[in-house]
Amino acid sequence: MSIIDVSNLTKDYGHGRGVFDVAISVEKGECYGFLGPNGAGKTTTIRHLMGFSKPQKGSTSIMGRDSWKNSAMLQKMIGYLPGEIALPQGITGTGFLNMMKRMRGLGDDSYLKMLLEKFELDPNIGTKQMSLGVKRKLAVVTAFMHDPDILILDEPTSGLDPIMQQIFIDYIEDEKKRGKTIFLSSHIFHEVDATCDKIAIIKDGRVISKFVANDLKNKSDKVYRVTFKTIEDYRKFEKLPYQFASKNPDKLRLRVHVLDDDVNQLITDISNLGIADFHEFPTTLEDYFMKFYKEDRVFEGVK
Amino acid sequence: MEDTIIQVRNLSKDYGHGRGIFDINLNIEKGKVYGYVGTNGSGKTTTIRNMMGFIKPDRGNVTIQGLDSWKDATEIKKSVSYVPGEIAFPSLATGTDFLKLQADYLGIHDLTYMNHIISMLQLDPTANLKRMSKGMKQKTAITAALMGDKDLLILDEPTTGLDPLMRDSFIELIREEKEKGRTIFMSSHIFEEIEHICDQVAMIKDGRIVDTIDLWSLRHWKTKIFDIRFKGLDDYKKFLAKFHQIKDTDEDELLCQVEMPVSEIEQLFYVLKKFSVASIKEEHITLEQYFRKVYEKGRG
Repeated sequence: MSIIDVSNLTKDYGHGRGVFDVAISVEKGECYGFLGPNGAGKTTTIRHLMGFSKPQKGSTSIMGRDSWKNSAMLQKMIGYLPGEIALPQGITGTGFLNMMKRMRGLGDDSYLKMLLEKFELDPNIGTKQMSLGVKRKLAVVTAFMHDPDILILDEPTSGLDPIMQQIFIDYIEDEKKRGKTIFLSSHIFHEVDATCDKIAIIKDGRVISKFVANDLKNKSDKVYRVTFKTIEDYRKFEKLPYQFASKNPDKLRLRVHVLDDDVNQLITDISNLGIADFHEFPTTLEDYFMKFYKEDRVFEGVK
Repeated sequence: MEDTIIQVRNLSKDYGHGRGIFDINLNIEKGKVYGYVGTNGSGKTTTIRNMMGFIKPDRGNVTIQGLDSWKDATEIKKSVSYVPGEIAFPSLATGTDFLKLQADYLGIHDLTYMNHIISMLQLDPTANLKRMSKGMKQKTAITAALMGDKDLLILDEPTTGLDPLMRDSFIELIREEKEKGRTIFMSSHIFEEIEHICDQVAMIKDGRIVDTIDLWSLRHWKTKIFDIRFKGLDDYKKFLAKFHQIKDTDEDELLCQVEMPVSEIEQLFYVLKKFSVASIKEEHITLEQYFRKVYEKGRG
């Protein structure tokens, strides 16, 4: 049974803005990544999942229950991390966490303590004095404190420093092992790469691609930049039947696409030549996605 | 000294409980792009807010082109483009309204440059300000700040929330500004962009500067690290016996990490050609790794 189900979700804000016929389903125990450029409709979709926004057409449901009609009940089972955070003022982080604890009727706070430690958050500070990153940490801890089975995360690591990002990724991996179902939107490819089983890409309000993350990882095409010591060796290599990404005879170097299966051939070929430098460029998920991100709209500006 | 645009001297602001910034010293020269990195809550924004004259230092001071950032705050703001870390827009209907208001305020009549920024960032300013997504708000804030075309840019995490393509466009914008001779001070968590555009980087931790790095030297690191995965256990073991510059191994994964000066790279391939290799991956020595090293010292 799918835990999260989005079917034909449409919300038209006019001027081509909004989401159109979005369909996604997330199975139990899966981590689903939702990617797309700024303004593509990621947050709009998530806000529908949370029941904050009413669909014009289609529906979203969680555990078989309609998000809009059952929002109050569903929010108890979901750990939701919003993309933009507004905290009440005149209260400390501790005060805020206590308030949330009471609202959720949480008795045992051992899980909360574990989270505070994991995310290195000292909540004894007024929300107004918190930096953006510290606010994000507080939001993370608040979203997870009741140990929910379903996590819905809108750009969870945006604004976190690299060390916290890694701690966050490790946490998500652990939660996945505990059987949690996770839906997250992100721009940070290595976080999607590290955590997600399935990925959907949204652009201009429409899902334009869906795939299984592993399929992409096995596309083990790499780009190497080889710099030679002499122009003779450069010429010799240039004649070999490789797929060259770029050539620079002035600097005696070339970029070459090589499948992992063919890497032995490359080693043999270059070991007979004088090499000054060898550099690998990781072809990441990012390169793959960039093509979906390209925009052909013309932006008018202010007149 | 005349080339120093921003000088931060012994800047301290103590918020108690060990929070705040302590004895910060920075020197930002004309025409440089200066990066400022640190963990969440380490004092980046506090430093920047002192520079902008929004808060008064407990000790020390910041001068911008010779003017004191607290006493001459009004004067300084005229020559600085500033993107704040957290954005609060006035309640106006659309991005266009806001940008027009901002242009008016800055006395800009020719909107060519502003529209250049808008098209670079692919911003649709006709959208409702309140309904804008985080990324769109960030684009609007960048446009509002940069349109002033000032000599000094102070940017507090300008790319938070931008998608990768937009980050690239932003980097392009900063490069253009640098070519015009502008001085830029920016904080960020995204090391890639810092590596791409900054000349120098200062790292702050718990309110103190722990390191300043000349990025030029990092880009020309002469040590190479490769992760080599073999097809069989036999090859893996033979390689280990044969090649001596091994840094790390993982027998389950048939993975060897080798480290050597770039001048000895031929030797590696000479040895490797006798084995069945599944993949070669380079470990890039990046600012991020450097950062981790600095920050993980004294943790745990």
